[in-house]
Amino acid sequence: MQVVIPSFGNKRYLSGFDWVMGVVDHVLKKTTCAGNISQLVFKLDSPVDPETVQSCLCRCIKEFPVLYGRVARDYNLAPYWQVPKKDKGNSLNFDSRRMENSPQHGNAWSFMEEWVNTPFKNENEHSAFHLLNTNGGESYFAMTFDHRLFDARGAESFVHLFQQYLTGDCNSHIGDVRLTASAELSQWADKFRAGKNINRKIIALSKTSMRSLPVTQYCEAKKGFKFSLIGFDSQKTGEIYENAYEDAGYLMVMPYLLSVAIRAMHGLFESRGLSADSYIIPVSVDMRSSQDIKQELFFNYASMFLFQIHVDMLNDKKALINEIKSQMYEQVQSSLPNNILKASLLLRIAPLSLLRKLFLLPFGGKFASFYFSHIGKCSYQYPEFMGAKISNIFHMPRVPTPPGIGIIFNSFDGQLNAVISCLDGLVSDEEIFALENSLRSEI
Amino acid sequence: MTVKDIENKLIKGIASITSKDESSIKADVPFHELGIDSLGFVEILVYVEKTFNLRLIDTDLSKKDFETIHSLASFIGKTL
Repeated sequence: MQVVIPSFGNKRYLSGFDWVMGVVDHVLKKTTCAGNISQLVFKLDSPVDPETVQSCLCRCIKEFPVLYGRVARDYNLAPYWQVPKKDKGNSLNFDSRRMENSPQHGNAWSFMEEWVNTPFKNENEHSAFHLLNTNGGESYFAMTFDHRLFDARGAESFVHLFQQYLTGDCNSHIGDVRLTASAELSQWADKFRAGKNINRKIIALSKTSMRSLPVTQYCEAKKGFKFSLIGFDSQKTGEIYENAYEDAGYLMVMPYLLSVAIRAMHGLFESRGLSADSYIIPVSVDMRSSQDIKQELFFNYASMFLFQIHVDMLNDKKALINEIKSQMYEQVQSSLPNNILKASLLLRIAPLSLLRKLFLLPFGGKFASFYFSHIGKCSYQYPEFMGAKISNIFHMPRVPTPPGIGIIFNSFDGQLNAVISCLDGLVSDEEIFALENSLRSEI
Repeated sequence: MTVKDIENKLIKGIASITSKDESSIKADVPFHELGIDSLGFVEILVYVEKTFNLRLIDTDLSKKDFETIHSLASFIGKTL
C-alpha cells in the first residue's frame, strides 16, 4: 500500500477543521491538564512482549517524520504543519507496565485514564504508545494521539498500517509520503457564502435557551477526564441494530444511537433541575469516502452536524428519531457539514486565543449540551495485533470544554461500545452510574 | 423513465457520493456492502429528491425497498 499524505515539500497546509482542532487543543490546555488528546485502545486476549512492540514501533515511526511536526505560519499567513527531516532522531514515547508492579493502580482502567490525561512532552510530540500486561493474562495496547494530527479513523488506520508493516503486507515504502494539500487561498466568495450560512445557523440555534452543565466551575489546570466504557457483546449489538432498523429505518444507526444518547443525557439534566428549553448537540461526521481512508491517514477529515432538540420532544422516542432524521436531512440538503469545512478555512487567519473567545460568544459561554460521535465501522481490519487476538477496540477522547461531557460510539468485530468522556468533577460517580444504566435501558 | 434509466442515474449519483467509479457499482449489491453509512445514505436520499423530486426521508425506509440500487430504482419507478 502506498500512503499518500497531502504535502508540499516539508509543509502540509492545515484545513479549516485542522485549525478548529487546534482551537480545541488551545482551550483544553488552558482549562485542563492536557490538550486535545484522544486514545485508541486495543484489548488483547493474551500478553504481548514489550520489547518486540517497542522495537517494531521504533522502526515504523521513523518512517513518519510528520509525527514530530509542529504548527507554523507561512508568508501567506496560512498555517501549516512543519514536517521535520526524516533522520532528525525523534524518540519514541513508549511505556510498558505490568499490573502487579503498580499497586497504586486499582485496575487497567486507571492506567488508561492516566495515559490519556498525560500531556505530551513538548510541541513536537504528538503520539505516545502504551502496553499493559494484566495479571489475568490479558493485555492492553493504547495509542495516545494529538487530535490535531489524527482523527479517530485516522488513528485506527495508522495502527492498521503498523500491523501491515509488521506482517509484510506493505509492498511499497510506507514512509514515502507526499504533501499536496493546497493552502486554499482562492474562491473567497464561496468561503464567505459558506460562512454566512453557518452564521445564520448559529444565530438560529442560539435563539432558544440551551441546557448545559456548569463546566467552567470545574476547569482547572490539573483537571483530567474520566471515562466509562459500556460494551455490548455481538448478540446484544445485533439486537441494537435490529432496534435501530425497526425504529429509525435502514442504515439509520447514527440517528438511532443519538436518540438513545439524548434520552439518557436528558435523565442527567432533569436530575440537576435545569430548566432551559433545548439541547444542542454537535455530532462529528467523517467526510472521507470509504475508499479514501488509506490516503487520508493524517490530520482531520471530519465535520459536524448541529442538532437542536426541544425538551418537550423527549417523551416520544419515535418523534425524537424522526426529528433527528429530519434535521440530518435538512443539514445534508443545505450542505452544512461542507459549509463548516469551507467557512472554517476563513478562521485560520485568527490566532487560537482569539478564536477561543469568539467560539463562546453566541451561546453565552456554553457552546453545547454534550458532544456525540458515532465512529462506526473500525478501520483496523486485522483480527489480531502483534500475534494477540483482539477482543475489543474503543476510543477515549478528551472532549472539548465546554461542554466537558460526551458520548462516543464505535464498533469492532460486531461489538458496539459506548464510551462516556467527562471532565473530572463535572458529574458525580452516582450520576455516571445512572447515565450508564440509562444508556443500557434506552438502547 | 424505465427502471434501468433510474438505476443508471442512481449509480451516477452514488459514484459521486462515495468517490467510486461508476463501473465498480453494481445494481444488485446492498447499500451497506458499498460501505455506505447513515450520512452516505442521507446524501443518496437528498440526491433522489433533487433528481426525481421525491422526498423519501419521511417514508419508512424498509430494507426491502432500499436494499439495493435495483430495488430502490423499482420503488422510485413505481412512485413516480
